[in-house]
Amino acid sequence: MQLSREALQRAYRQMKVIREFEERLHSEIQTGEIAGFTHLYCGQEAVAVGVCEHLGTDDKIISTHRGHGHCLAKGCDIEGMMKEIWGSRDGLCKGKGGSMHIADVDQGMLGANGIVGAGAPIAVGAALAAKLDGQGHVSIAFSGDGACNQGTTFEAMNFAVVTGAPCIFVFENNHYSEHTGVDYAVGTQQDIASRAEAFGMKVWRADGTDFFAVHDTMREALAYVRAGNGPAAIEFDTERFFGHFEGDPQRYRGKGEIERLRETRDCLKKFRKAVTTAGLLDDTDLDAIDSEVLTSIDRAVEAARAAARPTAEDVLADVYISY
Amino acid sequence: MAEIRPFCMPKWGIEMTEGTIATWMVKEGDAFTKGDMLCLIETAKITNEVEAEYDAVARRILVPAGGDAEPVGALLAVFADAAASDAEIDAFIADFRPAETGVAARSSDSESPSAPAHTSASARPGRIATNRPISPEALKLAERENIDISQIDGSGRNGRITLQDIQQAIRPTAKPVFKGSAQLVEDNAGFFASPLARRIAALHGIDLAGIKGTGPRGRISRADVQALVSPVPAARPVAAEFALNPNLPEIKPFDRIRKIIAQRLTDAKQQIPHFYLRISVRVDELLALRKTANLVLNCKASINDYLVKATALALVRHPDVNIQVHGNELHHFPHADISIAVASPKGLVTPIVRQADRMRIDQIAAETRRLIDKAQAGRLGLEDMNGGTFSISNLGMMGIEQFDAIINPPQGAILAVGTASRQPVETAHGGIGFETRLALTLSVDHRAIDGAGGAAFLGTLKQLIEEPEALFV
Amino acid sequence: MAKMMYRDAVVSTIAAEMERDPNVVVLGEDVVGGMGTAGGPEAIGGIWSTSTGLYGRFGQDRVIDTPISESAIVGAAAGLALAGKRPVAELMFADFIGVSLDQIWNQIGKFRYMFGGKTKCPVVIRMAYGAGFNAAAQHSQSVHQILTGMPGLKVVMPSTPADVAGLLRQAIRDDDPVIFLEHKALYATTGEVPDDPDFVIPFGHARLTRAGEDVTIVSSGLLLGFCEAVADRLANEGIGCDVIDLRTTSPLDEEAILDSVEVTGRLVVVDEAPPRCGLAADLCALAANKAFSSLKAPPQAVTPPHTPIPFARELESAYLPSAEKIEAAVRKVLNWR
Repeated sequence: MQLSREALQRAYRQMKVIREFEERLHSEIQTGEIAGFTHLYCGQEAVAVGVCEHLGTDDKIISTHRGHGHCLAKGCDIEGMMKEIWGSRDGLCKGKGGSMHIADVDQGMLGANGIVGAGAPIAVGAALAAKLDGQGHVSIAFSGDGACNQGTTFEAMNFAVVTGAPCIFVFENNHYSEHTGVDYAVGTQQDIASRAEAFGMKVWRADGTDFFAVHDTMREALAYVRAGNGPAAIEFDTERFFGHFEGDPQRYRGKGEIERLRETRDCLKKFRKAVTTAGLLDDTDLDAIDSEVLTSIDRAVEAARAAARPTAEDVLADVYISY
Repeated sequence: MAEIRPFCMPKWGIEMTEGTIATWMVKEGDAFTKGDMLCLIETAKITNEVEAEYDAVARRILVPAGGDAEPVGALLAVFADAAASDAEIDAFIADFRPAETGVAARSSDSESPSAPAHTSASARPGRIATNRPISPEALKLAERENIDISQIDGSGRNGRITLQDIQQAIRPTAKPVFKGSAQLVEDNAGFFASPLARRIAALHGIDLAGIKGTGPRGRISRADVQALVSPVPAARPVAAEFALNPNLPEIKPFDRIRKIIAQRLTDAKQQIPHFYLRISVRVDELLALRKTANLVLNCKASINDYLVKATALALVRHPDVNIQVHGNELHHFPHADISIAVASPKGLVTPIVRQADRMRIDQIAAETRRLIDKAQAGRLGLEDMNGGTFSISNLGMMGIEQFDAIINPPQGAILAVGTASRQPVETAHGGIGFETRLALTLSVDHRAIDGAGGAAFLGTLKQLIEEPEALFV
Repeated sequence: MAKMMYRDAVVSTIAAEMERDPNVVVLGEDVVGGMGTAGGPEAIGGIWSTSTGLYGRFGQDRVIDTPISESAIVGAAAGLALAGKRPVAELMFADFIGVSLDQIWNQIGKFRYMFGGKTKCPVVIRMAYGAGFNAAAQHSQSVHQILTGMPGLKVVMPSTPADVAGLLRQAIRDDDPVIFLEHKALYATTGEVPDDPDFVIPFGHARLTRAGEDVTIVSSGLLLGFCEAVADRLANEGIGCDVIDLRTTSPLDEEAILDSVEVTGRLVVVDEAPPRCGLAADLCALAANKAFSSLKAPPQAVTPPHTPIPFARELESAYLPSAEKIEAAVRKVLNWR
């Protein structure tokens, strides 16, 4: 289906925001200013954006430890996120969560999650709530090829099928579970979707580095689920441009692998080529977005650096609503 | 009816726990009269004769001479007149129980409810050999108190016996007084109040309905109710006015120095068997000489400095007093390092004038000045106070006539110096004259120094003070 | 007031809250019972009969019979709560927290804090706990001390039908995650329950069930009854016991315990969980920390030994705290020298 010029620009901008957000973090982290673990989403932008472009705020997503892309695509505030990663009390989670636990329930973003495989059952619960409300809303469980091996994910898939929960299990196969290849760790080799199929749901497979493939597949799956057919699953073949976490020496990569991926499997390059070749947008349009995005990232980093730090009293806040 | 009386191990002084019969001077069947010698008893400190306090016959001697030590209160012999039958004597022995307060009371068989775990009277304090798990402190206490640990259930992991277990075994049975049940106030819905708040409210007829809780989660707590309990108005006697502003202490925990002082002095007073030798010395000659000598040496040596010098010289001549006691060892020193007791803002400190026997009087004066200044500035270091072979404590300048000092361990003796006072004396021709005299008391560790040794040292010191020219030889 | 069984207080309270608030949903294994069988739905209404009739009344969207997937049950409850519902999940046996612990501990217990206070997660997780049925090591445990040790959770252990009603209603209405522990041996006990449809018992509010000034006995759940029996026996000897039913272990009513210990000077804590790092040890430490000057004897803990729960009748009886063991501990503090 043909996208409008505005929709194309918005999709490109969203992907570019994620890309530059992550690239900037990658360089900022080298300075040691950012504490803790950070897992970058760079390379997988087309999946988050291609999926979330279809969703409204009443649709829920639950993310993974590699969650920045899903958060941004679902509408989380760039500065709020940057401040959170910097540990500011003005961050989206007041400096209590950090990179791995960004959430914004108002945006339908039920949280990045530090436990691999924990998200799928929660997404099913949110889907059951949507079913109960009967407004046709859905929930998305983003999982990687690592989480697809967790029992929780299996439990969640069966549970969703049994209860008819309007949930879409999105498997982003970036070929690495932390530092281990899918060829080793996933028994069904290159086919995660077949697992979901075995649980009794309809599945799709698509190239996760091609925004248009993601967008089209998601449209079909969403229509199927919104129609009350129960859960579905999509496996996207995608790429991770950085290590498992920042500081990962990535000795498991092949020689020249990253350069090759960045050359041939970069969703932004592919998008630019596709839209300019088809004459939908020209380079000037896209370059303008690029510079606009870079400015917004600069601003977010500056704001994060200047933002208020939490105090020792904040430790005690927000454990309970009343105790 | 014949009077049968026990003869028990006497208790001479609070520290005595046991004694040994050295010699019996009576044998079974001997009649004795009041004032006769009955036996010789040895304790850790002394050997004493025991006189008969009444007329009787030694009917039974239960502990032979030269045997093991017996605890205080242990039955040693039975005295009675000849009229008592052997059967009566036997019955008396069988029924005999040592006095409650005696050490032997704890050592009697476990029929006494107050001390179920103690061993029989014949057992001696000593090493307990056991495979049972027991904490080191518990073992020490059990050995010291002669506890039969086989009677104790260890409360620790795998039945390990703790110090608390031994302490519980030693203590007398508890006789708690119970207060009994209280009125249970129904936790009726509507009022969010703690149980004690309810109880107090019920007791005083206070309605919880009107109370705003300040406890956790807005709960009515004890304090909220107590605030409403109307104080009982009563005419107060005058004394109550003072009770209104009670004489509350300002509480300050011991600081570091005070802790050390407390610990050292407690240890010294409790563990060192002190004895005291007193002597009075004439100081007129010393006072006269001091004026001259200070002029010649251009110094301001005090009487105390001269006493330090005299003491140091006396110590070198009596090496058996110039010592330290370390466990079972005596350490003798070639020179006299004299600790001088100084009152500092932080408490009593004892800096050391080292090798005072080798110093001239002006050097001693300079050194004591330096140490006193440092002490008063609170700047004495360990190097100023560590060691010492003897101590001098002088309260003469404060008008104290004489006093007894506590030994500064590990030293063997300390000299307490009182004030110099003019005293009438009989002169050579039977007249009355006056001289200035100083009272000295030497506290001595009897473990290390005998009375004679201490006395000889004091004699030398007296001579050096009364004939002070010798100080400059 | 109505006389009813502990288990009926569970069902009736859930039903009343479901009636009152359409966001309340129930989920768990066999909460309907008989789904997909010849017998059909509600052929069996849950093994504890604590959801009987709910399915017929509220339908399958609000009474969700789940596969045997404890992680997914608790995870789904978390997702339901994040999406605005008030799920009441049942884990059947408390021992099954093991399979679902990540969702309890790392997810629902942490959402609010981790997400900067912007979310609430009003989940109730009900489970049956406790020994006494020869159900052996994996179906008899008391897990409150594990869960009480997890910040972010509230932990409730009712001991009477009235407390079930007041505390469960509070749990369902509470905006924080609540672990609701029901003792198996109490399900068939009966008691008066207030009719008030808004009867709630606030958390952190212990109940004094016997009053006395000589010793404080703190307990909860099944063992509370043993403590009361001991207190009644001692009352005949003129010895007064304060018996405190904790009701909730998180939040903990420290005040009730300390107030009482300040009067009695003696504390015995009776708990069904193992001793190490346990609730009983925690409360003994509380008294030692905050009422040291009042204590006349070292606080005593009466707990099972540090072993798994055995099967055979003789072994399980030897394992569990009994009235005799409790009385011995009470007498020990009373007669402390």
